[in-house]
Order: sequence, then structure tokens, then C-alpha cells
Amino acid sequence: MKRLLLPLLCAFLASTTVHAATDGEVAARRTALDIAGAFTNDGFKLRDGHWSGSFEPGKSAIIQVNLYAGNQYWFTLGATGPAKKVAISIYDETGKPVKIDGEHSFQDTSVAAAGFSPDNSGVFFVKVAVVDGAAANFCLVYSYK
Amino acid sequence: MIWNFRPLAGCLACVCLCASAAADETPLTPEEMTGASRVDGLSIPMPGEFMAALNKLGKIDWSAKFRLPIGTSYTSRPQMALNLGGLIADGYIAIEAQDAPQVKNIGRDVITLATALGVGEEVKRRSSSIEAFAEKGEWDQLKEELEATQNEVKEAMAEAKDQDLVTLVTVGGWLRGVEVTSGQIAAHYTELGGKLLRQPGVIAFLDQHLERLSDKDKDDGSVRIVRKKLADIEKLLILPPDKAPTAAQVKELNQLTTETLKEITKKQK
Repeated sequence: MKRLLLPLLCAFLASTTVHAATDGEVAARRTALDIAGAFTNDGFKLRDGHWSGSFEPGKSAIIQVNLYAGNQYWFTLGATGPAKKVAISIYDETGKPVKIDGEHSFQDTSVAAAGFSPDNSGVFFVKVAVVDGAAANFCLVYSYK
Repeated sequence: MIWNFRPLAGCLACVCLCASAAADETPLTPEEMTGASRVDGLSIPMPGEFMAALNKLGKIDWSAKFRLPIGTSYTSRPQMALNLGGLIADGYIAIEAQDAPQVKNIGRDVITLATALGVGEEVKRRSSSIEAFAEKGEWDQLKEELEATQNEVKEAMAEAKDQDLVTLVTVGGWLRGVEVTSGQIAAHYTELGGKLLRQPGVIAFLDQHLERLSDKDKDDGSVRIVRKKLADIEKLLILPPDKAPTAAQVKELNQLTTETLKEITKKQK
């Protein structure tokens, strides 16, 4: 895991000089990568891309992704300290929530993860939210196999 | 849908205090869906994801998907970018085929085109590790390295305010990916395989970004061809979620992408 995470973190930290990512964004990504690294032990490949931003209670953020039927996915969210509890929700292309059972979800203060395997290829939406706490930076990454 | 996550659960147990996410069960509104972020780095699937899904349909002879080497001495920057994207997709195919010499050959062509576009340093920095992984047969690491290289090239282009080139690299890679996968699915058609090709969100994303190109880039011969063909490709790939393209439609899709790629690899007069 360290072998994978180190170059990823180095690449990200190097790229921050280019994109002038805030300290909060760097911290949120580090948090997300720490958890996402666990999935690589189970054969998941961590995608070398991320989505960063800020959110606050009552003001969630949503991203559109395109997934393939047959693949398994884990979405991992990391946030900075002011967010005391965060959540990830996944929706299909009609906006209907995708049911994630307990075995495929994880939540611990400023970190959350949700895993599922789509029945159909196409558009999905991932919503990230602060359930408890204050405005914070977040970073979402995903892994697949 | 039933996975064996025991090893993973074990890993997570080491770091978690509790394990229940508070997912929101309220459906999204149309406004929320329309307003959702769409970013190249996460909204557009990488070729590796497509190939992972395709590999689950059966054993694939990836080395049969190689194409003849394409030219690398174009004079038009948009055409270079489109072909750079296609070459990177070729790199993923060579990795799936576990063909080290092919990985190295493609790597050299990628460096040539990237250098011509002013982003060669990003590729050169990674080329030694790419070659080392290929020689050792460390294919998973190689895939990660190629993905990171692709993202660094795009970041360098974005930094140089060449967002048009970022779009064209993405389009070129996506076209080559669709050509290969539609060829495979056309040759061994199943409805399940056909459904993999359904990508309305990707098409819409690429359309929007191609529409935002500068007038000068839109006027480039290779870009004109891509935009025209994409309109035809779109008709075949925008389907209801539970509907697969027919075998004939998959063949048509394969022909369209093959023609498009042939056109954009020709030197412009």
C-alpha cells in the first residue's frame, strides 16, 4: 500500500505547486488516499484522478461519473477537520439512490466510503455531504476492479 | 453484486471506529443532476476501466488489437493531440497484451508527439520507470504509471493554457478505446457486451468540450472530421439504460471509429 501511496502523494504534492491547491485540499486528499489504499490490498486499482472542493452542512456537492457494468467500484471521501461526520451517496442516471448495504459502506468522522457494482453501464452521480460539523475541504477518489 | 469483501473488511477494521455511512436516500432533483460537476480527471473513465469490464466477458487476445504504427510528424497541433490520445490508448492495449517491446515502441512515439506539443518532459520523466516495469513484467504498476503519465501530460497542457489540447487528447484516447472494444464486441456479440458501449455521459462531456474549442482549432481538418463523426457515433451510443446496441449497430460503431482514426492519422495537406 505504501508503495502505491507514496508516488501518488508525491505526484499530488508536486502538482499542487502547479494548481496552487490549498492546504485543506492537500490534507483532504491525503485522508482519502489513506483509506482508499486499503482497497488496493483487495485488487482494486486506485484511479489517478480526484475531485476536490469545499462543502458545508446543507450544501452538498455532486459529481457525475461514468461507470461500467461488471466492474466493482469503491468511492472514498476524505475531508478536513471541521467536518465531523461526512457521507457519500450514489445515484443512478435518473437520480434514484443506489442502495449500498452496510458491508459496502464505511464512515468514520471525516472519512466515508461506498462500494457497489453497477448493473448497467452509464452515468451515475456521487453526492458528498457534511452530516455534522462545519464547512470543510473535501476530496473524492475512486477505485475499481 | 455479491462480493467477497472479507479481506477488505479486515483492512478497514484496522482503521475504522464504526462502519455505517449515512447515505442520503432522497432522489436527486433534475437541477441537481444538471448542475453536477463534470471533471476530466474523474468523470471520464480511463481506458483501464473499460478494459477491466471487457476482460470479464471472456479471454481477449489483446495483441490482435495492435494497429500498424501511426505517423508522428504532423504539423497541426490539434491533430498531434488527437493522435497522442490514441497512442496512449495503444499503450494500455500493449499492457493488457503484456507485450514489453510494444510498450517501449509506443512509449517512444508518445515521447515524440508529446515533445512536439511541448509536454515531452513530463513523459520523459516517467519513461524509464515505464520501461523498467515493462521489462520486469509488472503490468499493474505499469498501468498506474501510464495513467499517471497521461494525467501529467494533461496537467502540463492545462498549465500552459492549452485546454483545447487536453480535450483532444481525451477524445483521441476515447475513440481508440471504443474502436478496440466495439471490434471485440462485434466479433463476439452478446447483449451484455453491447451494454458496455453505452456511454451517454461521456459523449455529452466530449461534445460540450469540443464545442468550447477555439475557432482556430475547430477549423482544423482533423477536428472537423472528429466532430462530424462524433455526431454519428452519438446516435449509436445514447440508449436507454436497459437497452444494448444490436450486433449490427456495434459493427457500425466499429466502422465509424476505425474510419475516424484512419482520417486523423493521415497527414493534412
